This record gives sequence, C-alpha cells and structure tokens, in this order.
Amino acid sequence: MNRLLAARRLAPVLVAWGIPPGVAHQFEIEAKQDGAKVVEAEHMLLALTAISDGEVAALLHEAGLDHERLESALTEERRRTLAFAGMKAPDRALVAATELESPLSLGTSAKAAFKRALIGARRERHRVHLRTKDLLAGILEAELGTVPRALAIAGIDRVTLASRASGLK
Amino acid sequence: MPSPSPLDGPADGLAAASALRAIADQLEAAEVERAMRAGWSWSQVAEALGVTRQAVHKKHLRRLLLAQIELRRRNGE
Repeated sequence: MNRLLAARRLAPVLVAWGIPPGVAHQFEIEAKQDGAKVVEAEHMLLALTAISDGEVAALLHEAGLDHERLESALTEERRRTLAFAGMKAPDRALVAATELESPLSLGTSAKAAFKRALIGARRERHRVHLRTKDLLAGILEAELGTVPRALAIAGIDRVTLASRASGLK
Repeated sequence: MPSPSPLDGPADGLAAASALRAIADQLEAAEVERAMRAGWSWSQVAEALGVTRQAVHKKHLRRLLLAQIELRRRNGE
C-alpha cells in the first residue's frame, strides 16, 4: 500500500481502490483551493461533504456537517491555532508563490485515514475495496489533528459519526 | 492514557508549531521568488536566509525556472 500511496498520479490509484472518480478529483480541488501542496484529511472530508447523494451524504447531512459548516470550522481552527502563537493568518497574497504543476500526493493525515479505512474495509468484508463510507470512517477516526479540532469547534459528535460510518453503530 | 482532547493544552501548541512551519515554507517560497525577480543573486538570497547557496538552489531552482525568472549566473554576481 505504501508504494501505491507514493504513486505520482493520485486519482487513478484512488479510483482503483473504489473511490468514485469525481470524489478523487475533488480531493485535489479542495487541496489546491486551500493552497496546500499535498492532500490532507481535511481536504478529503471537505470533498466528501460536497457529494450530493448516497449513504455518505445522508450520514453527513444527518450529523449537520455540510461543506460550508466544515469550511468555516476549518477557518476558525486555523485562527485559533495561530492565535496560540500570537499570530494572524497571513494574507494569501503575501505568501503566494509560483507552484510546480506536479500532481498532488497524499499528506500524512490523508495516508493515515486511508490506512484506517482499509483496515475497516478488510475487517468487514475481507477484501481490499473501499467504499466512500469506509474512507469517511477512516478520516473521522483520527483523534488528534486538524479534522478533530475543526469538528470539536463545530460541535460535531465525531465519535458517533465515525462509528455510524464504519457501520458499527 | 485516554486520548487527549484535540483542543486545548499541548494540542493547541503542537497544531501551532505545525501551522507556523507551513507558513514559514510558503513565505520563504514567495520571498525567494520576489528577491530573484528583483535581481538578487543566489548568494545574496542565501545570505539573507542564513543558509548555504546550495540549499537555496536545491530547494527553489525548479520553481523559479517555471516562473520564468531571469536568474543571474554565478559569474555575474
């Protein structure tokens, strides 16, 4: 799996694992909009909140987690984090640089989410094929880092949502 | 130990360290590009950053070539 996660082109690898092409593409869109060089767990979660139908959309809707709410929670998380160090987020223009047009790869938090998702999928079905729901569970099972911080700020019950996504209830 | 809160205490400080590192990288990329556009040499950029010329070169050359900045040659410094 590590070799797959290091693949130069991310989207085809994710699609081969069972992630819908539109969702895989959205991971990169969210990361680029955030000015990130790699796809992190928060970008994947943002992408999942952009799906309009199916099981994952229903779960997220039920939990009250939509794209706009998550985005504002992430903004508040960043504000709070930088305020700890006595800083404000710099203007995007100040830190805007020419970027290499290389395809994005998965960052550490995204890889960890995938690993958890694969473990969950294997436990349930003894095969390596992910459903988007497994990935949602993998993202939500992180106990520390940007995603759980933003969800705590938004008042979302992460643990309950994670167990619903993994099908354990 | 039960899992600590993702907010408060060390979680805030560790998140801040990580966020500041990312901002430092972005700021360095932007300012190196700005300096080179303004005609600074690799050596001047390196000296201002407090790192070796080789380090700046290795980290930023490809990106600056992509940005089509006219880079000063070493013997033109």
